[in-house]
Amino acid sequence: MSDEKLICMRCDKEMVPEKTNFLYMKFAFNYDLPRCPQCGQVYIPEELVAGKMASVELELEEK
Amino acid sequence: MTPIRETISLCPVCLRQLPARHVQDGNDIFLQKTCPEHGDFSAVIWRHNDKLPMADWLGGAKPMAPGTELPCPDGCGLCDAHTQSTCCVLLEVTNRCNLSCPNCLAGGLAGEDPTLDEIQQRIDRLLAEGCSFLQISGGEPTLRDDLPEIIAYAKDSGFGFVQLNTNGLRLAEDDAYVQALAKAGLSFVFMQFDGTCDAIYEKLRGKPLLRQKQLAIHHCNRHRLGVTLVPMIAPGVNAGDIGAILRFAVATSPAVRGVHFQPISYLGAHTAPVPDADRFTLPELLLAIEAQTDGMVEADTLVPSQCDHAACGFHGDFVVVNGALQSLGAPRQASCCGPSAAQQGAPADCCASPALPDDSASYSSPLSAAEKSRRFVGRRWERATASVDFDALETPGLEVDFGSFDGFLKQVRSHGFTITSMGFQDRGNIDLERLRQCSLHVYDGENFHPLCARYLGDAIG
Repeated sequence: MSDEKLICMRCDKEMVPEKTNFLYMKFAFNYDLPRCPQCGQVYIPEELVAGKMASVELELEEK
Repeated sequence: MTPIRETISLCPVCLRQLPARHVQDGNDIFLQKTCPEHGDFSAVIWRHNDKLPMADWLGGAKPMAPGTELPCPDGCGLCDAHTQSTCCVLLEVTNRCNLSCPNCLAGGLAGEDPTLDEIQQRIDRLLAEGCSFLQISGGEPTLRDDLPEIIAYAKDSGFGFVQLNTNGLRLAEDDAYVQALAKAGLSFVFMQFDGTCDAIYEKLRGKPLLRQKQLAIHHCNRHRLGVTLVPMIAPGVNAGDIGAILRFAVATSPAVRGVHFQPISYLGAHTAPVPDADRFTLPELLLAIEAQTDGMVEADTLVPSQCDHAACGFHGDFVVVNGALQSLGAPRQASCCGPSAAQQGAPADCCASPALPDDSASYSSPLSAAEKSRRFVGRRWERATASVDFDALETPGLEVDFGSFDGFLKQVRSHGFTITSMGFQDRGNIDLERLRQCSLHVYDGENFHPLCARYLGDAIG
């Protein structure tokens, strides 16, 4: 992820890194992601989606 | 006796096709057939139907339509009536063996070994046919000193995975040979492993072999070759050792990558009638796994075969965490996808879709079920790869961090574990509904044969 600041489109607030919980099938994962301090919207970068999250999906689903 | 399904079988004596039926008696299901020349035959095919109903396991699989014409077994290679193409291909490199097991499925084969040149030509042909997963078998393949050359040729020519089916004896006594196999590019080893005490080997293989099995695993571990244990399960011999085999395998992870159970079948040179007491059916195995592991493995984490007929076997995906197995799959009852296409009774060729070269984009890739299956077992069974630092990955003593993507991926890749099974059919219990959905084929240099058809043996008399 780049160090550029991210602004929430909805609230116009700067997003700040925060531990975010993911539930996938019966497994729970956490990851620090930019989150809007006002509305709670989370930004998930494409490299995470296409990288680690896709790899986890592969291990759990593709069999 | 309640009839529940119509199918087609073979006379166990003359191998002619016979109409057959599944009939239920109490909680057991039998395959029954009558040959006009040789009489009535019956074989148990499913026990404990009250605890694990066969109909549930088969899902929506429909029986063959009345009047279905099949050329089995005389029509093999694969014919137009066969509904699956080749998922894994088995190449026999010798008929010789250093054991004399009473239940050898290839025991009826004979003849000179093919030359290295002939084997290379067969590998070329298999690649041209689109095969990507090669099982090297026999006989006992490790009796060939040129096996490393065969493996290197297959890998260099383009096979993604090369599996060695072996009894492990040479792997135990010849570490340099194991090193040569690993260096040649062998992907993983399927090793006969019938139990955790010598009395089992004395009964099934004629001699005590446990120490050799342990040594073989030790040598494979030294050279980063993953080993999957392959127990043949025989009632009255090792059916009570199923839990112990699994515990041994889990304790030996990551060197051991899983256990592949084979309920005993009576192929090869075995032609005598088989008492039902000598058969061990799929639900018995599933229930024994759960009972003998004290619930560490729940039966509903093991799901029916996707590439073959559901009654042919199952697979389960796990990871070893702190010495125990944790399931990575959705429980059988909670599957969101319902029965597979093959289970729904269609002539569904799971192997037909083209394979894509990049498995990283899994969520958008239209991979065939067979390609997914091949890649899945490859990820679980293979240890050393050029792109993975397994010394770092498998470092012991680190706490497993299952709450992070990185920790999860690391543990699954290093300590992934499979429990699988395939039950072969013999002349007593063969069901052509199953045979025509077989995706595990033997290549004899000219044709592909469903495995059970290949080792069925000849008509008697």
